[in-house]
Amino acid sequence: EEKPVLLKVPTTFAAALPGLGTTTTWIAERIELASNGSLKMKIYEPGTLVAPFEILDAVSTGKVNAGYGISGYWEGKMPGSSVFSTIPFGPEAGEFLAWMYYGNGRKLYQKMYDDAGFNVHVIPCGIIAPESGGWFKKEINTVEDIKGLKIRYYGLGGKVLQKLGASVSLIPGGEIFAALEKNAIDATEFSMPAIDTRLGFYKIVKMNYFPGWHQQATLFELLINKNTWNSMSPSQQMLMEIICKAATADAFAFTEAIQAKAMVENVEKHGVQNKYYSKEILAAFEKAWYEVADELSTTSPFFKETWEDLKAFRSEYAMWTNYAFLPRGLDK
Amino acid sequence: METGDYFVIAMFLTFVGFLFTGFPVAWVLGGVAVLFTLIATISDTWFGTMTGLDYLTLGMSVNRIFKYMDNWVLVALPMFIFMGLMLDKSGIAEKMMESMQELFGKINGGLAVTVTVIGIVLAASTGIIGASVVLLGLLSLPAMINQGYSKTLALGTIASAGTLGILIPPSIMLVIMADQLGLSVGDLFMGAVIPGLLLGVLYILYILIFSWLKPSAAPISKDRRPIEWRMILDVFKTILPPVLLIIAVLGSIFAGITTPTEASGVGALGATILAWYNKRLNFSVVVDVMKGCFNTTAYIFAIFLGATTFALVLRCLGGDEFIERILTGIPFGPHGILLIILGCVFLLGFFLDWIEITLIILPLVAPIISTLGFSINGFGVVSNPELLWFVILVAVTLQTSFLTPPVGFALFYLKGVCPPEIKLIHIYKGVVPFIILQLIGLFLVIIWPELVTWLPAFVYK
Amino acid sequence: MTQKAQGLSDRLCDAADNFIKHIGHIVMWGNGILILVIILQVILRYGFGKGLVMLEELQWHLYGLGIMIGASYALVTDSHIRVDIIQAGMTQKWKNRWELFGIIFLLLPFAFVIFDKSLDFFYESFRVNESSDAPLGLPFRWIIKCVIPVSFALLILAAISRSVRILNSMLKGRSDGNR
Ligand code: NA
Ligand code: NA
Repeated sequence: EEKPVLLKVPTTFAAALPGLGTTTTWIAERIELASNGSLKMKIYEPGTLVAPFEILDAVSTGKVNAGYGISGYWEGKMPGSSVFSTIPFGPEAGEFLAWMYYGNGRKLYQKMYDDAGFNVHVIPCGIIAPESGGWFKKEINTVEDIKGLKIRYYGLGGKVLQKLGASVSLIPGGEIFAALEKNAIDATEFSMPAIDTRLGFYKIVKMNYFPGWHQQATLFELLINKNTWNSMSPSQQMLMEIICKAATADAFAFTEAIQAKAMVENVEKHGVQNKYYSKEILAAFEKAWYEVADELSTTSPFFKETWEDLKAFRSEYAMWTNYAFLPRGLDK
Repeated sequence: METGDYFVIAMFLTFVGFLFTGFPVAWVLGGVAVLFTLIATISDTWFGTMTGLDYLTLGMSVNRIFKYMDNWVLVALPMFIFMGLMLDKSGIAEKMMESMQELFGKINGGLAVTVTVIGIVLAASTGIIGASVVLLGLLSLPAMINQGYSKTLALGTIASAGTLGILIPPSIMLVIMADQLGLSVGDLFMGAVIPGLLLGVLYILYILIFSWLKPSAAPISKDRRPIEWRMILDVFKTILPPVLLIIAVLGSIFAGITTPTEASGVGALGATILAWYNKRLNFSVVVDVMKGCFNTTAYIFAIFLGATTFALVLRCLGGDEFIERILTGIPFGPHGILLIILGCVFLLGFFLDWIEITLIILPLVAPIISTLGFSINGFGVVSNPELLWFVILVAVTLQTSFLTPPVGFALFYLKGVCPPEIKLIHIYKGVVPFIILQLIGLFLVIIWPELVTWLPAFVYK
Repeated sequence: MTQKAQGLSDRLCDAADNFIKHIGHIVMWGNGILILVIILQVILRYGFGKGLVMLEELQWHLYGLGIMIGASYALVTDSHIRVDIIQAGMTQKWKNRWELFGIIFLLLPFAFVIFDKSLDFFYESFRVNESSDAPLGLPFRWIIKCVIPVSFALLILAAISRSVRILNSMLKGRSDGNR
């Protein structure tokens, strides 16, 4: 027997941000109709119910029955949790989803929460295109140019730059512009070109570097309190799973669709130079990343387990990568 | 109307009712929130309503309270309070104020204008409303009262000049607004400069005209000397150390050398060194300042604690939807809709903190504004000039709202640092003319949107 | 109530208030330490080009401690902000009645809810040994989270003490309910 469920969903990103925030609205607009009214979702802008970093606690303890964001926000509670959101030199969307849905990804994802004692059911719910590799005031020609750089950088990628001698901070999105303008930081990354444009970085810094080696794909999560999840009928549960998969396809398509236009506009209207990191620099980043991952493996058991599994999956997948795709981008 | 709407209205009315019993604002906010959670739970259980609000949900207020604790921006607040108390208790502030006004010679109201100018400088360095009001109050109220200023003029000047801080950049409010709407912070900061300065100029004109008409309300210092080079040199010598301190602190924030938190810490240490240099520093002064700083910070934050719980319950009861229905059902033309939206913002400013209002209103009305067909001149540079103009209008309205009785957060903060003989009613009376000036300023920005859009277009050309 | 019981309860209230004041007089020095921490950070950043995430976090830890513990202190010193417009014209008897009403129906329920819920909040953090979200931040986040239940327990103590005093003074018919 089935009771109507209203999911109240606090989020980590403003609904106005394409791809980061629009996915929840996309779901909320469809779920009620698709379920014939038996499932409803009410989206709360970041901070309106609880602040982004408090969402896991609130959902797990049942103060609110659901929440939406990325797993990287729980680094303080489960060091290494960002591995389920994005991984430097990690898989692109196709490979990431392959591991998530048809490898051990989902099993390990849920296990992370269960082992840490959080009373939540996690559903991957949205993935976005690669991010930009950062906005810089000066050209980055050698690894030496990273040294001493004051930069805002997300997650595990930030740890990599730190290893290479940068002074890394994680300023919230809204404060980056002022920090750039006042030289509190020399460089920053935030998100994809279409989103960075809205925050106006091009007004101050003119060099936009690619590729987003630290964030080739970013996975989002819907957290549902486990008691709520268990009280839902099988059909309601199935519908949630399906709509999240649909949202994943939609978010990917949408974010793939809007970047090029923003990049062209950056060049033509705002005098921005789109740059590509040199092979040497990317190799240095990658080398540093494997060191970071090894260090993390020694301190966080679940990271080790997940990282080993992902590495195994990727080394098998490598056969496919090597043969299946056309050369592209600046390799061409 | 829906059931939730009755709850929302009843909650506002209960809040105002209990407020006038004289029980502390902080606990009225928190208590009413708990009371309405109880009412909603009972109503859900026995009367079939569906608010979904219960004891468990109310627990989110703890997470929200923690968000005030781990707020690195607000760390500057106790530091600015410390700086103000140290300059006040060591007698430096009063001496500085008295000296500076000598430069105004025979003009009545010189001290009030000095206070306003310091308020504008403060505004340009801190973005925290509580900090600038409290600091300005500590620095200048004793001097103004001693010199025989009318209480109302003194309090009105301090409250309004202190509130400018949330408008003139850097402003934390504008940062959050930009974040909410995905706008460029640079555009918002530049857009707020001219409206902010315009308001400052209106205040100064009003003070000068009022003091000229009614000299007894703004007397000239008794031991005033005629303006001559010797006097100017004297003044310069007296005010140099504290002014240097303030310039160093505020200037370094403005120039982008330090963050507000760093500057506030340097300011607190600087004020202590200054007191020591003037031989005013001893253990009892230090203890007094520590106690005062601890106590003042606490009762300002207690209001945040209550307010965040109040806002949570209000939102769970459907406060957002209630406002949404009011706003989307407006039958007038574009300017009518704009005025009603601003009116709602103004009224909400009576009950809620700016963070809550920003979170409720902006995402809701931003799409509406874009469809109204205002064609605002962005000089071909500003992207989204309509939204920029609108956000600045909201900011000015909110700033006005904090100054407006009966519930104005700026007024409460000021009350906190006033001597006991000053009652809230004096502050209420004092701010009335300044509210009128605010409305004039708002009106000017509505009819000349270029006041907002010109500077960002010029700077980021 | 007999006079003896009133005397005893007065003494207990004195003890409670003094306890809260003593705690306040210790915690208030946190602002002094905060100044030093900020100065240290400024020296490190501008003198040596280093920013330390730990120092930045230590700053809000100190500030957070002060604002929370201060709530009970400000209650004992009776400095929380009031809208005193109508109150100014009230007799002491009515002031006392409203104050008692406010403490029992507004302050105590609020303080109790936050206290009760913050115990879970603290425990959840303690359970997973939560640390900072930042890679180089402070460990043991639960210590600062523990400040919420502690400060609200003190607030409840201060509120009970204040209401007992008011009750006593109402019973005695004294006009002075505030200390
Ligand atoms: Na400001
Ligand atoms: Na108001």
